[in-house]
Amino acid sequence: MIDIQALTFTYKDETAPALENITLSVPEGGFLGIIGPAGAGKTTLARAIGGIVPHHYPGDYYGSVKVDGLDTIDNRLTDLSRIVGTVFQDVDSQIISSVVEDELLYGMENFGIPHDEIPRRMEFALKQVGIESLRERTIASLSGGQRQKVAIASVIALRPKVLVLDEPTGELDPASSRQIFTLLKTLNEEYGITVVIIEQKIMLLCEFARQLMVLDHGRIFVKGDTREVLSHAEELEALGVNCPRVAYLSRLLEKETRETLPVCVSIEEAEAMVRGLMK
Amino acid sequence: MRNLFQYVPGNSLIHRLNPITKIVLTIAICVAAFMTDNLIYLAALLGVDLAIGIIAGVPKKTLGILKGLLKIAAFLFILQALLTRRGTPVFWIVTDTGLLLAGKVVLRLVVVCMPLTLVLAVTRVSDLANALVQVVHVPYKYAFTLTTAIRFVPQFLEEMNDIMEAQTARGIEFDTRNSFKKLGMILPLCAPLLISSVRRSDQTAVAAEVRGFELRTSSSGYKRYPFRLCDLPAALLCAALIVLAALI
Amino acid sequence: MIKLENVSFAYAAAGPTVENLSFHVEKGEFVALLGANGAGKTTTVKLIDGLIKPTKGRVLVNGEDTAKTRVSRRARQVGFLFQNPDRQICKNTVREEIAFGLRAARGDLGEDGIKNRVEETLAAFHFTGEEEPFSLSRGQRQRVALASVLAVEPQILILDEPTTGLDYSECCHIMDTISRMNRDGQVTVVMVCHDMEVVLDYAQRALVMAGGRLLGDGPVGKIFRDRELMERASVLPPQITGLAMRLGEGFENADTAEELAAVVMRRREGRRKQA
Repeated sequence: MIDIQALTFTYKDETAPALENITLSVPEGGFLGIIGPAGAGKTTLARAIGGIVPHHYPGDYYGSVKVDGLDTIDNRLTDLSRIVGTVFQDVDSQIISSVVEDELLYGMENFGIPHDEIPRRMEFALKQVGIESLRERTIASLSGGQRQKVAIASVIALRPKVLVLDEPTGELDPASSRQIFTLLKTLNEEYGITVVIIEQKIMLLCEFARQLMVLDHGRIFVKGDTREVLSHAEELEALGVNCPRVAYLSRLLEKETRETLPVCVSIEEAEAMVRGLMK
Repeated sequence: MRNLFQYVPGNSLIHRLNPITKIVLTIAICVAAFMTDNLIYLAALLGVDLAIGIIAGVPKKTLGILKGLLKIAAFLFILQALLTRRGTPVFWIVTDTGLLLAGKVVLRLVVVCMPLTLVLAVTRVSDLANALVQVVHVPYKYAFTLTTAIRFVPQFLEEMNDIMEAQTARGIEFDTRNSFKKLGMILPLCAPLLISSVRRSDQTAVAAEVRGFELRTSSSGYKRYPFRLCDLPAALLCAALIVLAALI
Repeated sequence: MIKLENVSFAYAAAGPTVENLSFHVEKGEFVALLGANGAGKTTTVKLIDGLIKPTKGRVLVNGEDTAKTRVSRRARQVGFLFQNPDRQICKNTVREEIAFGLRAARGDLGEDGIKNRVEETLAAFHFTGEEEPFSLSRGQRQRVALASVLAVEPQILILDEPTTGLDYSECCHIMDTISRMNRDGQVTVVMVCHDMEVVLDYAQRALVMAGGRLLGDGPVGKIFRDRELMERASVLPPQITGLAMRLGEGFENADTAEELAAVVMRRREGRRKQA
């Protein structure tokens, strides 16, 4: 679904490249998590997948990005947006309307969704995100978590094949963050939407993402299946990326027991592992 | 201040009016206020403003706007009264003509500003933009600029407030009562505020672009804005206000 | 040091409120405020700093009623690190930024004293002083903000979600600096934080809030193990504590991976001996 070949990108007026030689492919229905220290190029990569780089932010661009077979250079940003839905880091600056319902309508109206289909899509998006009751509310009266859900719903209503999210849970408490991830999981598993998410909350990322990619200084540090990436824990730690503590625990126990143990990503898995060890 | 320009949901007669009717009504009040030179008629227009606010079910907000405007009005009143040289002195250098003139200036200001802010309290900004595009055929680009600017005001004020709070916490005396001193302290903060505002508006532009901003035409809107029966009395009121202003 | 007596607060418009809060914080403590978004945590720390005044009750800081003193006068005593460093930073270089805060809060040091203090702070935080805050990363800007708050040498430091938007190493850097000063007895810390791992690693005592009320108060490890309390406040305990609770007997004191692994190894040893 996403196919990136040797992408190198330098923003206009900058000397150092934001991304260097990125090659990546995400299959249809994939769930990719991206993590890395500040300034690693995570946001630039998210922009490149949606075509916002280089269409909105110009610069030196080498390599190619294809989404659903479309080369992002050869296609207009508007056409790419029908395939890739992007949720940006700053919620408040991406909401355009003053009422929830209007925010969802905005994209659907522009993309010419037939008017008799709009109500159905509206209800679908509101229901998926669990904000049916907020439909008539003003954006100003909502909490940060609710606004984040509105931003996601307004993108889901467009039925994109790929959903790119840039730190969507940054300002949310743990319970709301987990809700957002659970929602993404549903969209991914039941509707086959390919999800790419940038996130600093490593615990959630490891529990939900099937693939992980660690970026550092614009380059790929390591990528692969989540558990495989976590087996590089020590190198990651040196880079400033931590691992979930249950993953750390499984490594620790592996050393002490000298048995081969799975890398755990959730409390449930860790419980099973520990109980197995104490039998 | 934070609620300035913010929509208050409701289902009153005023809420249900066509957005265009509301704009026309606003303009009619303004035109009438500038046409007339009659103090009593100006006062009557203020009455119309207040009545609109009450019918719309936002009396608190209406009074809030009035209170805010009165502060500026008081300042203007004193200035105008002191600066007018004509007429017979009532006390010190203030003349009867000066007082009358000041009264009119101030009333006119309040009468004109009230509906401009009230209309935003009872109309969704997106309805306003869509109706302008569909009915009046304003190019969408301009309508979008208008709505973004309106949405920007409360965001800007909130940001300003947060910055002042953060500065107070580190010992900058924003909690002083001296307004001039406060103004002097606010100015240096404008640079960071501008930087974050520019960054913000750029992000808004991208967010609009990836949701098909360029594809939007005057027929894109899902909602339609036909004129209905309830728009008729409002239209009549508009005509009446202007005719009366011309006659008096 | 900090004393809240039956404090209530409600914003004029709708908004988060707190109701009938009472607690004390002693000198040298490191206290975390836990709870969901909208539980009243930020309101509570703003009350402590006097940025807002209680509608009922009293807030005493060092015995002084916050309602009776101006916030800007108390910056010397209480430092406040906000979630977003950009609200605080307003100068073009790190040196000017630190000096600006010092001049506002520590006029008593005199111009020479301020200059010395600026240089000491720059050295402690490994800044040259010439950096331009707005071209630094978010984590670096948060460090600039922290440096200029700590330069004042406040007795109390308030942190409102200080690690939001930071990566792991930036987060550790900020928290380690604060923790060191706290252990040296230089500063009492009150922190609002959503990252329970950070709370577990750094705080000693936790106050749990929901709906503007105080639900629980106690040592961090004990609070996280109160299942009913955690549920009422919609807070999830940190991973290892959560795991230890599921494993039950014998794991009551395991909060870190090392502690938990030690219990597991002891059990295995025991089994082997039995066999």
